[in-house]
Amino acid sequence: MENLSPWVLFFAAIFTGNILLTYFLGMCSFLSVSRQVKTALGLGLAVTFVLTITAAVNHIIYFHVLVPLGIEYLRYIVFIGVIAATVQFLEMFIERYSEVLYINLGIFLPLITVNCAILGVSLFMVIRQYTFIQSVVFGAGSGLGWLLAILAMAGIQERLNEKKIPPPLRGPGIALIITGIMAMAFIGFSGMVQIQ
Amino acid sequence: MKPTPHEKKQWFDFLPGAISKDGFLGNDRRQIHDIVQDDERHLEYLGLNREAIADRLQYFIESGKKGLEKNVDLGDYTVQVRWSRGMQPCPFGERGLHHKLVAYVKHKSSGRELRFTQLNVHMIREHGFFEGSGSTFRMEPEILQVFMT
Amino acid sequence: MIHQIILTVAAVTAINVVLAVLLVIAERYLADFGECTLTVNDQKKLDVKGGSTLLATLSREKIFLPSACGGRGTCAYCKCRIQSGAGPLLPTEIPLLSSEEIENQVRLACQVKVKQDMAITIPEELFAIQEFRASVKEIRRLTHDIKLLRLSLLDPGEISFKSGQYIQLKSQPYADIRERVSRAYSISSPNHVKNAIDLIVRLVPEGICTTWVHEYLREGETVSFVGPMGDFFLRDGRGEIIMVAGGSGMAPMVSILHEMIHTNNERKVTYFFGAVTRRDLFYLDEMNAFRQKLPNFKFIPALSEPLPEDSWDGETGLITEILGKYLKGKDTSDMQGYLCGSPGMIQASIQVMKEHHIEGDRIFFDPFA
Repeated sequence: MENLSPWVLFFAAIFTGNILLTYFLGMCSFLSVSRQVKTALGLGLAVTFVLTITAAVNHIIYFHVLVPLGIEYLRYIVFIGVIAATVQFLEMFIERYSEVLYINLGIFLPLITVNCAILGVSLFMVIRQYTFIQSVVFGAGSGLGWLLAILAMAGIQERLNEKKIPPPLRGPGIALIITGIMAMAFIGFSGMVQIQ
Repeated sequence: MKPTPHEKKQWFDFLPGAISKDGFLGNDRRQIHDIVQDDERHLEYLGLNREAIADRLQYFIESGKKGLEKNVDLGDYTVQVRWSRGMQPCPFGERGLHHKLVAYVKHKSSGRELRFTQLNVHMIREHGFFEGSGSTFRMEPEILQVFMT
Repeated sequence: MIHQIILTVAAVTAINVVLAVLLVIAERYLADFGECTLTVNDQKKLDVKGGSTLLATLSREKIFLPSACGGRGTCAYCKCRIQSGAGPLLPTEIPLLSSEEIENQVRLACQVKVKQDMAITIPEELFAIQEFRASVKEIRRLTHDIKLLRLSLLDPGEISFKSGQYIQLKSQPYADIRERVSRAYSISSPNHVKNAIDLIVRLVPEGICTTWVHEYLREGETVSFVGPMGDFFLRDGRGEIIMVAGGSGMAPMVSILHEMIHTNNERKVTYFFGAVTRRDLFYLDEMNAFRQKLPNFKFIPALSEPLPEDSWDGETGLITEILGKYLKGKDTSDMQGYLCGSPGMIQASIQVMKEHHIEGDRIFFDPFA
């Protein structure tokens, strides 16, 4: 993908190819942490950080270690290892500098490791054969797209008064419906940029 | 089912020496949430409800308190309560301290005996936890049934 | 084939080792909070190593904040004012602090971590509390479930306390118990004896510390305790002292009675000791000795369920009944009530005293932990 401008890719990753609303990756923590805007913002930034770092590091390892040695099949194990290490580092960092966020995120911080969006972005990068700059931009953009989706969801849920929702739909029910509607709205962006 | 990191930390409080001498798990190797779920199903099968059980046990405690450590006669039952100085936290980790109170209830006609603490009543009511199998204060639902009337 | 396997294993190992090393370095750097300065009550300045909770850090500096839950964040006994350096309010603190407290910068010492310089305010009385090492001089059986524990102080060699105060004894690991706990026991020895203390320990069903004292602790062993603590002590006054204490609750009363002898206090004292059967009675000789030395002291034991073989001809019934009978019709306007023992007995006795017009401000007891 040599001819794809990083800016176009960045924009596409956020809007037209939103990792969550277009590809439906990274749903689990999205559904669970989207009740409060503050926590959603914290998690969204954490995911963006992890995506950017892992996309960059995984690109280097894949194209400059695995491919030359002919062991590309190891990418699943190696990518997960890098993701896990990055999340560990992030946990230590957040625990040190914002204990409140650390406590509020609780188990969802280590759960970023198994968030399929993270591995998905690295694998997409491999399939689409992005350059290093493109990988970094793709990672950051996907993260911001995920952040945008979870912020919008948190904002909507904060405004939504539980009393107005029919009991069987409260919680996951209405959350999934909202996600679907948001996804449909984002389809509206699809004409702007074509990358896939 | 695997425990969350919070549950892993919490588990240490269920071990001997953390809050009570023998702990709350006995020789049970199951996860705490599994113990609670299994007991919940068992209770449903027996037609028992944890609120009702907790209320009944609290009734025994309140009646026993009046005796100031001597046996209180309640007709079909006798109850003796030992209330010691000090407070215990709940191993589940939420706020609140509980009195160190042990109740000994005897069902006269069957001779069955029941021994439980104030903390037990709280754990049954709020967490559906009857302690692990083999634990000192384990409350088997079948045995509890006898004491419900 | 073999070549492929070796290459694969080597590559994965190398990558993971690099990641692990990076994480170890990161942890070293991130977990090190360096030295922080704790300013206490605008006077003391302590240089401490950051990273632990305020409760643990103060404890290392020999300042002991009260705690009933061992730092789990459930009892709120460790509240203290932190004027600066506490960081944002933690979600674990919010349920235990009132909005007034939050406004006054009151925080939970067991939840707040020392990460930077801090200024805190704690009650002055806490400075009098020290940690002691002592050797077990004697363990004597008093009843079937009560033992006397006599401790000879090693370091510091002397303790100053008010009769009626208690200490927190630290248990040691035994059997399959690996943790240590702290439990409160009132001092029963006279307060003019400063190099040794007596404790009366009653075995609690499934009690961690009492089981250790009763079944594992041996004479000659070294133990540690923290104290003295508590607001229970003899108040000034001329009125009759009504003591109600059963079981190990007798401990502070004995200490107070010793003090009264030592200071020639001639106030009238009536001590109601409640038990179930005769085998629960102890220190009867000591009570007799007190009667010889204190002309206005009366000891009234009562059994609530004496056995036929007890051949009991003393008072029979609940101690609260005996107490009520005694107070009925008397002028209680000057009386003071001193209670210790089972919380149930304390509650019931307070009720009886109030019914006989002894107001709450003249009734004293330790509402602990």
